[in-house]
Order: sequence, then C-alpha cells, then structure tokens
Amino acid sequence: MKTNLKLSSKMHLFIIVSSVLIALGIMVGVICHFVANGYFNYGGDWASYKEVTVSYAYVDYSDESEVIEICNKNFSDCGLKYQSLTTGKSSEGGEIVYTFSIAADDTQLSNAVVLIGTAFNGAIQTSVSAHTQEALLGGALTIDRCCIALACIIVVHFLYFVIRYKLTMALAAVLADIHNLGIFLSLLSLTRIPVASSVLAFATLTLLITVIGTSLLFDRMRRNAKNEDLKKLSAFEHADLGANECLTLNLIIPACLASVAALLFVLLSISSLSPVVILAPVFAALVSFISCAYGTVFFTPSVYSRFKLLGDNYKSQHARASKTKGTSK
Amino acid sequence: MGKVKSAIITALFVAAVAVLAFFATVSFGLPGGVDTYNSFVANIHLGADLTGNAYATLYPEGVISTADYQLVANDEENSDSEVYAEKYLERGGAYVSKDKLGYTYVDGNYVEPAEGDKTESEFKASIKHDAEVLLKRLGDKGYSSYSVLVGDEGFSIKVSLPTNFSYVEYKESQNTYSSDNLADQISAINVLSYSGEISLRDSNTYDGSNSVVSVIKHDFKSFFSGASALTRGGSSWILINLNDYGFEKLNEALGNYGGSETTAYFYIGETCLGLSVTIADGIADKTLAFQPSNMTASAVQDVAILLNSAIAGNEISNVYNDEAENSGTNVIATTSKFGAYAPVYLFAALLAIVVAAIIGPSVKYKKLGLVNALSVLIYALAMVTAIMLIDIQVTIAGAFAAILGLALLLFSNIVSFEAIRKETLTGRTIQASVKLGYKKTVFAVLDIHVLLLVIAVMLALIGVGEVAAFGFISLIGVIASYVLHWFTRFMWFVTSSPARDKFKFCGFAREVEDDED
Repeated sequence: MKTNLKLSSKMHLFIIVSSVLIALGIMVGVICHFVANGYFNYGGDWASYKEVTVSYAYVDYSDESEVIEICNKNFSDCGLKYQSLTTGKSSEGGEIVYTFSIAADDTQLSNAVVLIGTAFNGAIQTSVSAHTQEALLGGALTIDRCCIALACIIVVHFLYFVIRYKLTMALAAVLADIHNLGIFLSLLSLTRIPVASSVLAFATLTLLITVIGTSLLFDRMRRNAKNEDLKKLSAFEHADLGANECLTLNLIIPACLASVAALLFVLLSISSLSPVVILAPVFAALVSFISCAYGTVFFTPSVYSRFKLLGDNYKSQHARASKTKGTSK
Repeated sequence: MGKVKSAIITALFVAAVAVLAFFATVSFGLPGGVDTYNSFVANIHLGADLTGNAYATLYPEGVISTADYQLVANDEENSDSEVYAEKYLERGGAYVSKDKLGYTYVDGNYVEPAEGDKTESEFKASIKHDAEVLLKRLGDKGYSSYSVLVGDEGFSIKVSLPTNFSYVEYKESQNTYSSDNLADQISAINVLSYSGEISLRDSNTYDGSNSVVSVIKHDFKSFFSGASALTRGGSSWILINLNDYGFEKLNEALGNYGGSETTAYFYIGETCLGLSVTIADGIADKTLAFQPSNMTASAVQDVAILLNSAIAGNEISNVYNDEAENSGTNVIATTSKFGAYAPVYLFAALLAIVVAAIIGPSVKYKKLGLVNALSVLIYALAMVTAIMLIDIQVTIAGAFAAILGLALLLFSNIVSFEAIRKETLTGRTIQASVKLGYKKTVFAVLDIHVLLLVIAVMLALIGVGEVAAFGFISLIGVIASYVLHWFTRFMWFVTSSPARDKFKFCGFAREVEDDED
C-alpha cells in the first residue's frame, strides 16, 4: 500500500496531541491517586477486592460442583455477580473463592454468606466467610529491575543508532522510545484499564516494537539518502518519503499483535465466563500496540524531519565555514 | 541442484519437523498402561495467569479463621464451644481474641476497652507493617506475579504466589491435592513470614539457649552487610557477609564466650535456621558460607532473603498461624482466574496464529509461501522445545514475546521477498533477483536482529520474574528468527531448483519479457 501522507508538516499537531494525551494521563492519574484507588486502576494481582471463601470438607461434600451450585444460587438470589471463581484442593477438602469488585455491597455479601451458611446447615466442617482484601503495592524488586531494564534499552537503542545510523536518527529513536512509553502509561492512566504486574512486560514490549519500527524507518531513510535521485529532496520530503514507504510494514506488527490480543480476549472470556478478569493483560497489550503504531508511524518521522533539517543546516554551515577558512588561507 | 537431491533434502526436513511436531504436541499412554508420555507443550511451566496461584492466609496470634472458629463453636458436643463464643469476636471474615481488641479479663468476664484504647489499632498497624515486610521479601524472590493482601478489616494477611505448574501438574492438582507439588511455595510462605530479630545463640533449641553476642552491648544486625544465595552445579550455599566492624566484634564475642556449648546457631526470632559456626575456631573470613543439607535452591534463596531482610532491620513482629486454635498454614493451589481451561485456550490461540502465519504467505507467494511455512513450523517447534528445556515460565505476556519473534521472522522474510519481487520487475532472472534482493535487505534485517538480541539479553539479565522470562523468550525468538530467515533462503534454493517456471513457483508476475527466451 503506497501512501502520500505529509507527516512532517503536521509535527505541531502530533506534538500537541501527544502532549495533551500525556498531560491528561498525568492529571487523571494524580487526581485518582488522591481520590480513587491509585495513579493507575490497579487490577489483577495488584487489585483490592472482596471475596467469599467457602471451605468444605470431603466428609460434608465429596463433589465441589454441589457446593458451587448452592453458592451460585444464593449469590443470584441476593443479586450479586462475582468477577471470578477459583477452586482449590486442600488435604481434607477444598476451597472455593468467589471474587467481587471492591465496590460490591457489604450488606448483600453478608446476606449471601448467611444464606449459604444456612444452606450448609448440618455440614459441620464446611464454612463460608466474606473478606475484604486490600492489596499492598510497591517495594518490589521486579518493578525496580524493570525500570532499570527499560532505561538500558533506551541507552542501547541510542548507542546502536549512533554507531549504525546518524546522530539525528539516534536522537529521534530515543524520543520515539520515551514518547511511546509515555503515551502507553498515559493511556493506561487515562482509560483506567486495570493494571497488573503483566504491565511491566507490556511496557517492555512497547519498547521492542518501537525498536523494530524505528530500525525499519531509519533503514529506509538511510537507503533513500544514498540514492542519487533522492538527494535533492528537502529534509521534510525525505522524512515523508521514508515514512510512507514503510508505513504498511510499520503498522503490520502492531496490527498483528493487536489481533492476537483480540483473539485471546475472546477465547479467555469464554474460558473465564467473565470478560472483566481478562481485561488487565489484554487491554494493556492493546494500549501498547496503539502507542507504538501512533508513535512510530506518525510522531517519529515528523519530529525527525526537524532533526534532519537542523543536522543538514549544521552540516552546510560547517562546510561553508571550512570552505571560507580554506579560501582565506 | 537436481530433482532427486532437492526431493531428498525437502523430505528429510519435512519428516524431521513432523516427528518433532508429534512429540512436541501429542501426549499418549505408553505400553503397559501405567506411564504416560507428556508432550513438550504439556511440560512447559506456566504463570499464575494460566495455572492459578498458590495462596495461604496468615493469622497472627489471637486471630483465627472462620473455619477454625466454626469447627469448634458450631459443634455442640465440643466442650470449648462456649469458651470460643465468649473469647472471640468476628472481624471481617476472621475471629479475633478479645484481649487483642483491648478487652480485659476480670472475674471471669471480658470488660470492654476504655474509650481511646489503642490496643486494636496498634495490633492492626503491626499486622500491616508485617504485610509490608512480607511484600518486600516476596518481591526479592522475583516471582512473575504475586500479591500480599491485608484482609478481614486488617486482621489477616493473604499471600498469593504463582504455582509454576506445567499443564500436566496443573491437571493433576485439580484432581488430587499433593503438598509435594507446592513444596517451594510452602517453604517461601513459611520461611519468609518468620518473625523476630537475627541473633546467634548457643543451642539449636530456643528454650534454654543464650545469645552468644551481647544484645546489650551490640546491635547484632550492624555486624553484617547482607546475605545472598549461591547455586552452582546443583549445590546451593547461603553467604552471609560481615563488615569490618562485625568481623572484629564477632570474633571478639566468640573469643569471650564463656558458655559450655561449642557451636553457635543463627536464629530469626525463636526459629533456628540451622546455620552454625564453631565458637572455638572463631571466624576466619568475612564471608560466612553455609551449605544447608536437604534444602532446595528455592528454599536456600528464601533463607538468604529472610536474613537480608532481618539484617536491614525489616522484621516481622507477629507470629503467624502458630496457635493451638489455628489449623496451621494451609497452602492451596487454585484454578486460574481466566478459567480452568485458560492454558488450552492460549494454546489454541497460538496455534491459530501459527496457522495464519502459514496460510497468509502461502496464498500470496504460492510454493514460496510453503517454504516460509516450513520456517514458521520450525520456529514454533524451536520455541516450544527451548522454553521447555530452559524451563522458562510462560505467561500471557511471554506468549506475546514468542509471537513477536514469529512476526519478526515473517517480517524479515516478507521484506526480502518484496525486495526480490521488485528486482524481478526490472527484468532480472529469479536467481539474480534473489541474490540482489537478499543483499539489499541484509543490513536492515541484521540491524533489527542484532539490536533486539542485545535488548533481549539485557532484559534476561537485568529483569526479574515476568520481565526476565519475557527477555529469555525474546532472545530465543530473535535467534530463531534470524537463523530461519537464512534457512528460508536455503530452502527456497533447494525447493525451487527443479521448478521449470521459477516465477510461478514464487507467485511473482513476469512483467517484463525475459531477454534469454
């Protein structure tokens, strides 16, 4: 697919869009940090929730489906809808844990617990209880190390581009990394998508896709720069040509990964019978791909065109200065 | 290359892929009906998002679970049922002893706490502090996902860790409970929740033992700079590092020790860790190395983390699940939140992607697409085999890393194919176009792979848990992608050699009349 987008002329628009997105993300995050449950909407293994735990013994119930049936009936009688249901075996019986949103009504939960307890009447080693579980965050080695790894990726990306490409390209690549990561985090904060520990891996994935995208983009520009016919093009035309030539390829990887995320969302929603629990990883993945596609395809070439212009101007000034020096000598 | 040679090479590769695919994906019963062969896929360790968590609820002294309470209180024949009803009050989903809530026991009755009594709030604050210490200790373990939750209005701690089950173990855990499958998680929860300060005592039983280092004169924690675990060739050590001050003072304390015992043991609170030093010999080295017997590498790491935490002054103040009324720490493995069949659905999704990666290029590039399909299949099998052999835990994010590698392979191949198609449009023969096309794209493909390789190595080395697993999977993916990119070129040569119309073989249109014809 050949396109003829004039991306370089829209740099200001892209900068405004990105700045607004990042500013909104920070603003919503900070507000939510004080009035809601945190900068991000913590979900998955970082979420606080309410749960109803049913511990049963084999002497009371040999089949867990019998217990689940009793519980499900009473939850629906009380108008409660659980987010997830997990079952586990212990040495003498099993435990069934129903997870509810932290906003679930305590009175309804208590009523359900009383009703389920009544239904278990006579089953002396079976108990049911409601709990509120508040998640603790922070202080984890995983988060610290991930931040160090992300910083290292950006440094390596810069150094590699300085060696293999040009300084202006390396600068644009680093800007793309920071921009895409910033957009990713801002979209997470803005959309209040549940954020769990898997977000660390998706932040890394964002940078990897950016690295692939920028490598492709600047390789094409490097090749175009060597082409005698294209040497006459201005910095803006040069950036636009490169961006248009690899626009499709740069969209393919995020688009393919986004389709995989969508497929997983559908399949795992069927598996869990509740799309809410699968939101955290799949939507984090989708946000990652959107940030990469926007950042690499639209933002980076437009900003690079200015870097190239500055670089070209500096080069011509430098050449002129040395020429003048040579003449005066 | 001749027809026969081409056919033999192609057949060999296809047969090898078919055999590997069979063993990688199909589990079957072995003759005799007792043992089962489990496929490579079934032996891959999966993250908590796919095979669930192992969790345990920790109740401090004075707090018991609803199950423990109801077992006695609801049993009319149990003589303690009335005592329980009088002693405990319900808080959230737990039962708390009244003395922990500020009640006083006077003349056989509990008297309510006075207004402004802080016993309850202080008790809850100490539990929250313990949970924070536990969170930090578990963070140092580098789990892919874990959580520490304060529950029951602040009176209990729920710890949740990944089970690290393979699909085979996961299926087994759903049918029968075996504590063997959860040995590492049980050890981590038990050891990392030990409470109290680090000390060196003259007996391996706490009762009647004395501290070798005077706690009045010294802050024993300040003797150490840290502790770490070391595993080499299947053996594990715990290394405790003394600082200059500690080295001097500990030797002094051991030299001055006047007790009858000859060995001193490291303790955390009242728990002996089984690490001992000989008092008479003193300390010769600033690094104390211990090789605990009968401990797995994971358990050794637990002890090192515990020591490190205690040396840094992060101590747990309450004792958990240790009361007679408490039924103990019960670690339970649950099904995945994404449903019991989450691993199967993920496998189905990955399979669908591999099929799409085979069909898409085959439609566009005809027989050349089939050559690409062989590379895609080898990529998938290489990933499965390597992940199983290196024992990398796969999560949903990890699956995306594997897909990224596949996308990279397809991308590299398609970029080259398109460059070759462009060359054919200038009137060149297929052989000349292939040569020139690959030459033109070699640096673009190489640059991306080298850069991603460096990044993947960094992620694997610097990252912890899910990020490290992501790095390892990316590393395998990048290497496989690059090797298979060139394998595609080789197989293109092998399979297209006998073809009469090479343009038709590749699905390329012959736009310019061939001068040679």
